[in-house]
Amino acid sequence: MKAKTHFAFFDEGSKKEIRRALLKAVAIPGYQVPFASREMPIARGWGTGGLQITLSLIGKQDVLKVIDQGADESVNAVSIKKLISKTTGVRLVERTEDATLIQSRHRIPEVPLTKNQILVLQVPMPEPLRGVEASEYQTKILHSEEDYSGAWLQLFEQVMKYGKTATGADHPVYVNGRYIMAPSPIPRFDNPKLHQSDALILFGAGREKKIYAVPPYADVSSLAFDDYPFQVESFAGENCHLCGAENVFLDELEDPVTNETIYQCNDTSYCLERLNENEEAEVRKTYA
Amino acid sequence: MAIDEVHDLQFVFREILHTMSRPGEIQSLRKLEGKNDLDLPLHDATLFTLLTLFDAEVSFHVLPRAENQVAGKISAYTLASHTTLAKADFIIVLPDATEAEITEALEICKKGTLIAPHRAATFIIDTDFTERNITVRLTGPGIKEQTMLHTLSNNIWEARNTTVTEFPLGVDLILTDSNMQLACVPRTTNVEVMEVE
Repeated sequence: MKAKTHFAFFDEGSKKEIRRALLKAVAIPGYQVPFASREMPIARGWGTGGLQITLSLIGKQDVLKVIDQGADESVNAVSIKKLISKTTGVRLVERTEDATLIQSRHRIPEVPLTKNQILVLQVPMPEPLRGVEASEYQTKILHSEEDYSGAWLQLFEQVMKYGKTATGADHPVYVNGRYIMAPSPIPRFDNPKLHQSDALILFGAGREKKIYAVPPYADVSSLAFDDYPFQVESFAGENCHLCGAENVFLDELEDPVTNETIYQCNDTSYCLERLNENEEAEVRKTYA
Repeated sequence: MAIDEVHDLQFVFREILHTMSRPGEIQSLRKLEGKNDLDLPLHDATLFTLLTLFDAEVSFHVLPRAENQVAGKISAYTLASHTTLAKADFIIVLPDATEAEITEALEICKKGTLIAPHRAATFIIDTDFTERNITVRLTGPGIKEQTMLHTLSNNIWEARNTTVTEFPLGVDLILTDSNMQLACVPRTTNVEVMEVE
């Protein structure tokens, strides 16, 4: 026998607390608001921060999309979708345009977000200064004094070691000219999408008990030096071996037969949609 | 018909979140018309905002100060505790509060600390969005170009602007009216009082 859960799993008291934290997060862009991260039926570090925000936002009218590193059908995305749809009954979609709420792990979708959408990003490590300062209290002081020399030093060390800023993902950003923020481990390719976004973007770190936000039309700039400007990953000359897309974030794979390097769209719903469009166009041509 | 604490308050929260992230956009709670069956002398938009955000973990203060009875009832319905201006998480401003009371409240309320700027007061002000004599222009995060509001008074906006000069310290405003509408002005918003025509 299965116990009937409350709507959106949470009790109303938990939702209230998270909702108050969300309003403060929006009012102080990039500042990490502490919240009482609840025990969830999935382990901390598996998207519980994002999940708790989604459950506090969601209503019966919402249409939900969940992605895990660009994929709609990987384990993390599927189990989160199952939990939310079983406790709310909301419609699940894969097409980015159809969703009102999008929870994502480590990617911002290729299709530009709109005014009527909210993006919720799962965050493993919300503190951009943790690499240089282990104490939470000390990093809070550094943020309060806008002392970000540690963040700059991290970048400088990369320049010394590799000749360029080489952050793999989670390249720190300045939000509204005040707070330095970890954008969650999105590729550098997605950083520019945070700047002056049409959609509200919320960040949840369940294990670290922090919620933060980038409101729409806010200035977000990636940290860079004048002589080492910020650069996104380049896929010049490459395209998706399935749909042929260019200028999107591509996964580098190895063809198991020929051992050649091939590229494929990281955003699976975007790729699938293009494939379907291409097929429809082909069918139309054949019948014409 | 009673208010549904799960679905109706979820709707109210989303409207508040929408206007907090898009300051000055006036949102309507008209969908919940007739659902208020509580015995409280507050306009629906104010009451629904309280029900959405208040529980035993928060404290509030009511202006004007004569409204002790209202404060008692708010505590009874939401379990939130009534406290002084300087300590309150939320400051509820009823329509009969004077301009002097509001500007004084903006001066002595909690504005957060540099380490914890989120520990600042949120004002819930019952006002009117069609004040003819005042036009303010809002710019800043959440606003693509500019948004205009016709509410509150020159002196109140000036006091608010003084309160938010030391970002990230400051206060956030939730404005409500008798027509079931609400709009937010967070501390990041630049508010410019336009010349009176």
